[in-house]
Amino acid sequence: MRLLLTLCLVALPAWPAAAQQTHLVVIGGLGGDPAYSDTFHNWAVELVDAAVDRHGLSPENVVFLGEQPQRDPARIDERSSRENIERILVDLAGRAAPGDVVFVVVIGHGSSIGDEARINLPGPDMGPSDFAPLLDRFTGQSVVFVNTASASGAFLAPLSAANRTIVTATKTSRERNETVFGGFFIEALAGEGADTDKDGRVSVLEAFHFARQEVAREYEADNRMLTEHAILDDNGDGEGSEEPDGRKTDGVLARSLFLDSGSPVAAIAAGSQAGDSVLGRLYREKGQLEGRIQQLRGQKESLDPELYERELEALLVDLALKSQEIRRREGGQP
Amino acid sequence: MIGAWMFLRFGRLFSGSIVALAGLTSPACAQQETTDGADALRRGDYQTAIDALARAASQPQAAASDYRLLARALSKVGRYDEAEEAVRGGMERVTDPEELHNTLGELLDLRGRVDESGSAFREAMASAASDRNVAALNLAVLQYRQGEVDAAMAAFNGFIDLYNETPDLPPHDLVAVGTALRYLGQRDYRLVHDARRALDEAIAADPSALDARIRLGELFLEKYNGPEARRLFKEVLEVNPNHPAALLGMAKVLDFESQPGAVTSARKSLEVNPSFVPSRVFMARMSLNVEDYAQAIEEAEGALEVNPRSLEALSVLAAARYLKGDEEGFAKTRDRALEINPRYAELFNIAAELLVQSRRYHEGVDLARQAVHVDEDSWRAYAILGTNQLRIGEIQEGRLSLETSFSGDPFNLWTKNTLDLLDTFEHYEIIRTPHFEIMLRADEVELLAPYFSAVSEEAYQRMTERYGYEPTVPIRVEVFPNHSDFSVRTLGLPGLGALGVAFGPVIAMDSPSARGVGEFNWGSTLWHEIAHVVHLGMTDHRMPRWLGEGLAVFEERKAREGWGSDVGLPFLMAYESGRLLPFSQLNNGFVRPSYPQQVAFSYLQASLVLELIEERNGFPAILDMLAGYRQGRSTDEIVRAVLGTDVEEVDELFDDYLRKRFAGPLAAIYGFPEAPAGRGANQLSRAVDKDDFLANLAAGKQLTDEGRAEEAIPFLERAKELFPEYAAPDSPYWYLATIYTEKGDEERAAAELEALTSLNETHYAANLRLASLRQATGNVAGAAAALERALYIHPYEIPVHERLADLYAQMADWVSAVQERRSALALEPVDRAGALYRLARAHFEAGDRAAARRAVLQTLEIAPNFQEAQELLLQLRQAGGK
Repeated sequence: MRLLLTLCLVALPAWPAAAQQTHLVVIGGLGGDPAYSDTFHNWAVELVDAAVDRHGLSPENVVFLGEQPQRDPARIDERSSRENIERILVDLAGRAAPGDVVFVVVIGHGSSIGDEARINLPGPDMGPSDFAPLLDRFTGQSVVFVNTASASGAFLAPLSAANRTIVTATKTSRERNETVFGGFFIEALAGEGADTDKDGRVSVLEAFHFARQEVAREYEADNRMLTEHAILDDNGDGEGSEEPDGRKTDGVLARSLFLDSGSPVAAIAAGSQAGDSVLGRLYREKGQLEGRIQQLRGQKESLDPELYERELEALLVDLALKSQEIRRREGGQP
Repeated sequence: MIGAWMFLRFGRLFSGSIVALAGLTSPACAQQETTDGADALRRGDYQTAIDALARAASQPQAAASDYRLLARALSKVGRYDEAEEAVRGGMERVTDPEELHNTLGELLDLRGRVDESGSAFREAMASAASDRNVAALNLAVLQYRQGEVDAAMAAFNGFIDLYNETPDLPPHDLVAVGTALRYLGQRDYRLVHDARRALDEAIAADPSALDARIRLGELFLEKYNGPEARRLFKEVLEVNPNHPAALLGMAKVLDFESQPGAVTSARKSLEVNPSFVPSRVFMARMSLNVEDYAQAIEEAEGALEVNPRSLEALSVLAAARYLKGDEEGFAKTRDRALEINPRYAELFNIAAELLVQSRRYHEGVDLARQAVHVDEDSWRAYAILGTNQLRIGEIQEGRLSLETSFSGDPFNLWTKNTLDLLDTFEHYEIIRTPHFEIMLRADEVELLAPYFSAVSEEAYQRMTERYGYEPTVPIRVEVFPNHSDFSVRTLGLPGLGALGVAFGPVIAMDSPSARGVGEFNWGSTLWHEIAHVVHLGMTDHRMPRWLGEGLAVFEERKAREGWGSDVGLPFLMAYESGRLLPFSQLNNGFVRPSYPQQVAFSYLQASLVLELIEERNGFPAILDMLAGYRQGRSTDEIVRAVLGTDVEEVDELFDDYLRKRFAGPLAAIYGFPEAPAGRGANQLSRAVDKDDFLANLAAGKQLTDEGRAEEAIPFLERAKELFPEYAAPDSPYWYLATIYTEKGDEERAAAELEALTSLNETHYAANLRLASLRQATGNVAGAAAALERALYIHPYEIPVHERLADLYAQMADWVSAVQERRSALALEPVDRAGALYRLARAHFEAGDRAAARRAVLQTLEIAPNFQEAQELLLQLRQAGGK
């Protein structure tokens, strides 16, 4: 018996368009203490370097606003004052093209009075109500706003919107203890350990899952009670998910967003542009197989396990063979 | 003033009596004597009280209350006969003799003369005496103690009416009400709260009342509230430091809270009143705790001389005889107690508790069952029964017994904690091996089950072979990720310092996740407990603590190099300062430690005693000793028969053995370590005596800290030479390994770490570092061995499992590689697809293609484009693997 689903047409994941660009704005807040200043600076540097060196972002598309620009003038563009942040984001909104992806990553200490949370900056602090109008300017872009600070949970609901992914290190403004989420989130983007689907890229969703698990592991290893619960929202409902599954709740958009700008679609387009219609067809067929696998996985709970495994194996073998063919065609090893 | 002629004159009336010792005074003076006597009685100056009250009672116009107070003062110091005589004399002299019947009854009751005391109480009740209600209570208590429970309960019930119908009850009646409600609380626990309220009211009505505080303290203690009981007894003792009941109450609180001083307090109460039966009984129990049966019997018999019908004394005597192996003596004493009160469950409860303290759980369960049989309302019996059913592996039966107990006594924190813990058992899974049932929390099964199974079976096989004995199987091993749960499983309360416990066929222990990294070695702990199972079985649970613990450590050392307590500086210092107990008293180090480290030292010492015995007499001697204990023989007899000597000579032999075995370190320890603070390395190193271990170590450390590694080496090497067994975290091995690593001398660094890890079973970092060094020098097997040791300390690091799997792969040990890949996967790595792929690859290499296929499909289900996994899948397809 074969499954009906083999007859279905499957929509490809919402890969970004080939011409898109990715922009990164890193905001390093006040350390307050040399040890924290060092930690925040090191995190920011790791991210900025990975964006350029590993993910191939143009240095012009990366802005680093730090607490002390004199500390690392080669990397830090300007001081992370409220005025500079506003100016940089307004400027970026003006020049980012439709379809671009804009990452804003905030690193630092957060604080809260009641439900009103702030990120501590040199000079006036900023809260969600300060960032909201700035993000609203990005009408044609996908925005990823990551706040790694304590008490950052309060940023999620006010900034939640369509085509926007909000990640916060804490669930609420009441989680005010020092957070470690930021370090792991950046490690995920900078390293390879978070590429759980082995497609050679780390999505925002993968980075989130990686950081969340590592945070839990670190607290457990230290025998401490977990005092930070990171959440992610990307469906615009203002409700963050601690465990976005990328299907039913949050995570659908976040799984398609990457710090780099490459994509399978880009390869298809590249193949077509190079006049290799066979390669283009192979990529399309590969994409269809991936879609069918994804659809089959969605039906796993309702299927007989043996049947599911048989169907899955058949699709995976087809996909493996297709991938071999692509690699041969591209001149690589099969 | 008392004149001699007066003494003579009254001597005729009350010849030989205490009152005859007093003299006449004026009415005003007599009143003053009464007041002074009452004050002295209250503050515990009993002789002054007796003198003053005797003078008051000798007056022609003396009242019954003078005699009552006098009798009370005399009875406080155990002069019961004189007290009785005074009361009887008073009854002839006063105009209101009915006021003395109850007091007489109480005095007779203290001597077990129950027929007479019952009559006295009845006479008081029939009169208009002010303490007739107290007499009614006393009679009901008497009936209760004789097993006439229904009649007693009906009488106790009457006190509820008394309370409800009588406004402004005097304090002594409120105490009677509170006491009656305490008994009624046995059948309806809600009344315990009322008992407390009545006693509180009694104290409020007379804030100076001591007896009400005593009763309330006893109630709190009975309901497991140590702090409140302590507060009340303390209040009494602040007023009267000689109050026998308060001193005993405090002793019981201290014992209940496992605090030192219980015996001292009880002993003080006996100094005040040598005939105070409850204190004698308490001391007998304390003697049983330290397995001093002869002393326990002497104390119990002393109590029975005062009151031959004391059920508590009979119970503890019966238990002592049972524990001593005198079954006939036990039966006689038991029958004597049951003749007095056929429903006296405490007889069995006390014996059961004491047997359990001696780790004879099955017999404890049998006795608790008998307790339940004679009194189905004994919630304590159900609690003892349930707790120990759990200990022998009867989990469902134990739960039922505890639930029964808790329904009648919901104050019992131990029962509640244990029932709460049992509720969590649904989150555990049982893993079955040929000889074990291993209970692990579901989220730890994947990771721990293979390791626990392997160690358990290995221990079983090796020890059953060595000892020629096979314990009853399956042996149940419960592993708790939360230390408090382990503690509750063991004691009913959190806070136990131990790591594991063996009840016989049931072991409970901390999971490696219950403690921080390096706090313990779960492998040696499990081995230790399995050793207990073997030894307890061989001796039918009749071995002393020193032997059980010593043998378990002894077996740890035989299991793996480095396992088992190592001889450290504190141990040798304790030896040098004479703080180690001689062999003949070693058991006290476990059951009655006199300083915090003594238990740990005693474990080590006992294991060394056994090493001495093995060296001197051979391992079969140890088998013979175990057989001797099974036969119920004493340590003295066994030492004579098996070792051909006596315990005193063993004391000397052991001392000689220790001194010779550790001659080097002992000669190199000059005193307690002094912090080198304020002394520079130069100053320090110049001052070092070449034969002083601590000075050499301190100089080596200081120089290392100052970055002068080359200069540090000779000091560290010398320290190592002086005390090669020293393997604490700051050992010379560790410092030298660091220095040699920095110098690039990997072989020497590895040798230092090899030596360290062969002595220290919990040094996680040393094992990891050693593995890296071994790996760097191409010693794959050595690296794997170090990581295997690390997993016994902390099995929760994914990279360690992956590294070990890689090493096994290099050694082509694919079965072990599969295990380690599985372990890595069980730890839920973020890169699950990668971990699954590596598992699939290991399965493939191990030749298990079906497992490889399953794993690779799981891999690709998560990561369909994972190229290496795709290739493995195609490879499997090509090979026809299904």
